[in-house]
Amino acid sequence: MSTVIEAASLVFQPYVLLVILGSAAFGMFVGAIPGLTATMATALLVPVTFFMDPVPAIATIVTATAMAIFAGDIPGTMLRMPGTPASAAYVQDAYALTKKGRPESALGASLVFSSIGGIFGTLVLITASPALAEIALKFSSFEYFWLVVLGLSCAVFISPGSPARGLISLFIGLFAATIGLENPAGAPRYTFGSVELMGGIQFIPAMIGLFAVSEVIRSFIKRGADVRPPPTSGGGIFREQARNLVTYPVQALRGSALGTAIGALPGAGADIAAWISYAISKKFSKTPEKFGEGHVEGLVEAGASNNGAMSGAWIPALVFGIPGDSITAIVIGVLYIKGINPGPMVFITQPEMIYAVFIVFLLANLIMLPLGWIAIKGARQVLSIPQKVLMPVILMFCMVGSFAINNSVFGIGIMLVFGIIGFLMEENDIPIAPAILGLVLGPMLEQNFVTSMIKSQGSFIAFFERPIAAGLGLFTIAVWMIPLVMLLLRRRGTMQGV
Amino acid sequence: MRVTDLTLGLLTLLGGFAIYISALDFKVIPGQSYGAGTMPRAIALVTVLTGLFIIVKAVMAGDRVPGLRLADWTRSGAAVMRMVVVLALIVLYIVVSPLVGFLPTAFGVMLVSMLILGVRWPVALIVSALAALAIQQSFGRLLLVPLPRTEFLTFLW
Repeated sequence: MSTVIEAASLVFQPYVLLVILGSAAFGMFVGAIPGLTATMATALLVPVTFFMDPVPAIATIVTATAMAIFAGDIPGTMLRMPGTPASAAYVQDAYALTKKGRPESALGASLVFSSIGGIFGTLVLITASPALAEIALKFSSFEYFWLVVLGLSCAVFISPGSPARGLISLFIGLFAATIGLENPAGAPRYTFGSVELMGGIQFIPAMIGLFAVSEVIRSFIKRGADVRPPPTSGGGIFREQARNLVTYPVQALRGSALGTAIGALPGAGADIAAWISYAISKKFSKTPEKFGEGHVEGLVEAGASNNGAMSGAWIPALVFGIPGDSITAIVIGVLYIKGINPGPMVFITQPEMIYAVFIVFLLANLIMLPLGWIAIKGARQVLSIPQKVLMPVILMFCMVGSFAINNSVFGIGIMLVFGIIGFLMEENDIPIAPAILGLVLGPMLEQNFVTSMIKSQGSFIAFFERPIAAGLGLFTIAVWMIPLVMLLLRRRGTMQGV
Repeated sequence: MRVTDLTLGLLTLLGGFAIYISALDFKVIPGQSYGAGTMPRAIALVTVLTGLFIIVKAVMAGDRVPGLRLADWTRSGAAVMRMVVVLALIVLYIVVSPLVGFLPTAFGVMLVSMLILGVRWPVALIVSALAALAIQQSFGRLLLVPLPRTEFLTFLW
């Protein structure tokens, strides 16, 4: 109990609360701009968190991402331009409601059920994490090796596009992670005599490049298209939601639970959760024909799901130090910078920090309701800012953010290189998230792989000798086999058809 | 700027070989068979396999000649020019900001960016000036990031 009180005292300070409010506004702003994602909001905030204590730093990211994922629904509803990929699943229904003159119904459902999903995910995070952490304490390098491989595999197979392209992205990240002195032999790798490169590829400029600069380049090519939002009528945002809650309690619960579970899966995030939940909602609906025509049922389920996923993604991040999605991949980098090593030991050494994170999650999902209401009301102004004015300012933020990490223009160079790589990757339908996961998890994978190989004297059998390692190993191999089985089944079906 | 699947496979294959060859000289941990080269070689091996997989799949789909398909935007000279300019502006910032300071460089970079995107002169001038000042005040003054200073503007720090 004293830990909870200590954690609360860390959070309920004027400075931290002010930070939460500020980052909530920032998250709302970024999420509401089409093309700017929750991940980009996190990336842009990292340089700012660099100067904060651990609790406000984490609070900044948690609040901003929760808000950004909800706010992504605003342009989706008003302009049929999802603000974040997590909103894309149900944009058709939301926009159809706007065309029927009911944008408040769509946005109200998004807001309330996003909050419900987020709170559900947080409760699961609070209850499941300590229990999982106790199990994780028994893990050796073999279990961690398989866990990392499983996370990377999921990122590859769940990412949009073909798994082969996902693998290419992963190898780019893993290769970038090998650069520098930090390796089992402590020998310089791919440094070409550069002192700056000996420290390795700085994670934050690389991530700003991959996510933000690539988007800025694309926007320059398109010359920043302007958008004109429709007028919003007054009031009524919360009016229908009590009725929706009574009509669709199963959908809200199912969306929250599934979203949390998908988020907890290493490599999968809010966007995948929303797509799957929307599909399930349609599958089990009594009126599937109404989906896509402005039906609120799918919106309730997928809206709860994507925010549930955001909380769920923190379970593997905190317990194992393995990110659940690209946002938690960034967060893990921030935690390391702050001297907090995510993993089971953090529950023993710094429990107050973990409880502070839980409190921040609850606060963020509650504060979302009043701030979301303001955001919906002010959406017209935010959406009216032309991209051609916004993008140059974002570019400058990217450069200053990359500079601020080591106070060196070398960071901007890394940002530029990864910006071009990210742009080329997206031009060729190569997903970016596996590269980020590879960059973050590369050192952990190498350390556990080399340690395991030394312990087992080169025998791969040892990777399956411990029960949990064997279970994780077999499960990982099953994940690899799924595309092959699907391919064979499809071939068989085609041949039978012929 | 989209490469065909066959080209992508070949590039992946070559990348894998390049990583493998470059990792051959990396040192091992004293007294062990593993070391700095273990991980790059493992990455190289899987990269080569992925490259081969993509090549086989591309060939089976009828892709015979490696090539490059240009995206629609590459046919527009203005779009290509805007892309080149934005990359050049980043390089310019890296080179020029340590010499003339953050404020003039940031102002110039944002002004040029807005103008090539078609923002009107007065708006571009005002927004660039205000944004440069706001970033300098928030990062340089509040967060104490040592942004490069300009001789005649030190009073702002």
